[in-house]
Amino acid sequence: MPIFDQGYQHWNGQTSGHAWRWFTIARQGVRSALKGRLMRIALLAAWSPAIALAAMLCVWGLLERGSTVIASIRPMLEFLYPQLIADPKHFRVVVWTLSYDYFTIVEMQISMILILLVGPNLISQDLRFNALPLYLSRPMRRIDYFLGKLGVIVGFLAMIVVLPATAAWVLGLLFSLDISLIHDTFRLLVGSIAWGLAVSVSAGLLVLAMSSLTRNSRYVALIWLGLWFISWVTSTAMTDINRNRQRNRIRTDQFRAYQEENSTVAPKTPDEMRQEIRRRQNVRQQGYLHMQQLQSDVWEATKTDWRPMISYTTNLTRLEQQFLGTQPAWETVASFLPPEQQGAYLMRMSGPQYPWIWSAELLAGLSVVSIGVLQLRIRSLDRLR
Amino acid sequence: MLFQFEDVTKTYGAITALDNLSLSAPEGAIGLLGPNGSGKTTMIRSLLGLIPIDHGSGQVLGLDIRTRQLEIRRQVGFAPEDECLFPNMEGVEFVAYAGELVGMSRKDGMQRAHEVLDYVGLGEARYRRCETYSTGMKQRLKLASAIVHDPKLLILDEPTNGMDPAGRDEVLELSRDLAHNKGMSLLFSSHLLPDVEAVCEHIIVLGGGKLLTQGKIAEMKQAHRLGFELRVKIDQAAFAEKLKTLGCTIRTKDDRLIVEVPEGRGQQLLWQAAADQQEQIRFLRPQRGTLEEVFLSAVEKN
Repeated sequence: MPIFDQGYQHWNGQTSGHAWRWFTIARQGVRSALKGRLMRIALLAAWSPAIALAAMLCVWGLLERGSTVIASIRPMLEFLYPQLIADPKHFRVVVWTLSYDYFTIVEMQISMILILLVGPNLISQDLRFNALPLYLSRPMRRIDYFLGKLGVIVGFLAMIVVLPATAAWVLGLLFSLDISLIHDTFRLLVGSIAWGLAVSVSAGLLVLAMSSLTRNSRYVALIWLGLWFISWVTSTAMTDINRNRQRNRIRTDQFRAYQEENSTVAPKTPDEMRQEIRRRQNVRQQGYLHMQQLQSDVWEATKTDWRPMISYTTNLTRLEQQFLGTQPAWETVASFLPPEQQGAYLMRMSGPQYPWIWSAELLAGLSVVSIGVLQLRIRSLDRLR
Repeated sequence: MLFQFEDVTKTYGAITALDNLSLSAPEGAIGLLGPNGSGKTTMIRSLLGLIPIDHGSGQVLGLDIRTRQLEIRRQVGFAPEDECLFPNMEGVEFVAYAGELVGMSRKDGMQRAHEVLDYVGLGEARYRRCETYSTGMKQRLKLASAIVHDPKLLILDEPTNGMDPAGRDEVLELSRDLAHNKGMSLLFSSHLLPDVEAVCEHIIVLGGGKLLTQGKIAEMKQAHRLGFELRVKIDQAAFAEKLKTLGCTIRTKDDRLIVEVPEGRGQQLLWQAAADQQEQIRFLRPQRGTLEEVFLSAVEKN
């Protein structure tokens, strides 16, 4: 028997209202996830693209100001087109947009890894240990539970997308010391935050729905990997097959033009030689026009090609392009190239071209399905057993 | 009044779980009894505002169960019947988190978690992961998480299920202490009548979603005015026949006779009969009911 045994003591402290109850669940989820060493390493790794983004924006700010501080690192910027370096202020939006584009694309892949580490446990473990009666018998609603669990995903993605994007923007602003930068690049700040939230909500709802389907979080992780990799591999394969078919068409047409050009017998008289030269020039000209037309057709076809949509992450990328406005930036960079290379460059660099609203609708549809699954799987206690 | 129901009906499809249930329970320790499917769990869920009722009205701690569910759950502590845990947590984290879910600050929750874990006897195991706890420890952990915010009403649903005798005694002792010495009202649902008897002062017996009986245990078990238990030395069967001729109702229980004398007569009749029969009465006391009898009688009547 202890000498000093207080036994049970009453408690008269204050309790908060229930409006922020979801936050308690989210905070506990983040805290619990951060206990894992792998998670902490992944989080640290996730910040490296943010450091690169911040560094790029700061360097560009100094470049705009013609600062001598960066004279020593100028040679390292030679990977950029000389036109950009020559007038950094004029191409500010282009460089900032493409920097944010690279940042978000890398962070999207890292987000998928973080969700893989955090998401599967969120609901499946509660189902396994029958925690729902403990949650629902406290002053909270089912929606608070869902929001709390979603808040864990939003919290982590905010840490690696929204906060770094905002911090980099502020740093870039400070280094450029030009107030017009706010006007020029504000869309990027809003766009990256909006995209971060869109990814959080879409991927968060999806992984929560998957997590509610089984009590074994390993299965959830496998389903998530399947959604991520298999959809990407399928989409890439189908898109490439389609593009190869189009390229083969171009090559066939080129071969036909070559055959036509070389199909006649050798000219014998000067008149015949002149006629033959004119004919060949004409054939070449027509072949060139035909190729340009075909390139243009391929480019146009990408604008209605639905195959990239099979990949979940490509849909997020398409949304990102729209939110950040990357297409004009890529077109500006493409304009530095000879005209015949511009189409291929844009096709290679600027990503999927189908209407962004398709991706928005698909992601919204997936979210609705996820909410439906959650409604079915996480039932209230209004049942017999 | 701790809680009251007025014509409460709750159905699940064709099954009526609560059938025009009307009752009121005073403050104190209340045992909730009833056979399987009698509506105990539905009643508890209705009390907590976890399920919408089809008809009727009710109040818990003066709060309407239809409109003030969240406030009710803030003032009530509940330990469910099933084994349930917040996963991947140490004991102290578990209880603090339970407090935070009620609205306590992190600091208060943690401080209070240490206090209640000491109280329920889990002080030594507070930093162990709760998945590694034994069944008895998990029950005490649930109890700790139910009282972390110092509720006015504590609802324990089958708290001694699956426990060994020592663990069961500890939980009963804690429940009794909370209800009798700490001023916390208790609704104790159990199939085990000795457990209810050990902890509670009042009982509510449900059957088929209806109230079968309710009242103070001491009153319901009070001595029968006309009933006696007796044992005689020489010929118990002959003595029983003699009493029957005098208008008594007789039945046997173990080695004793349970005798109910006619209205208007008392134990003097028994002494007179023994004298007439040349018999020695070796044991005589007024018949007292048991909780089991009270329960069975209520269930059989309905």
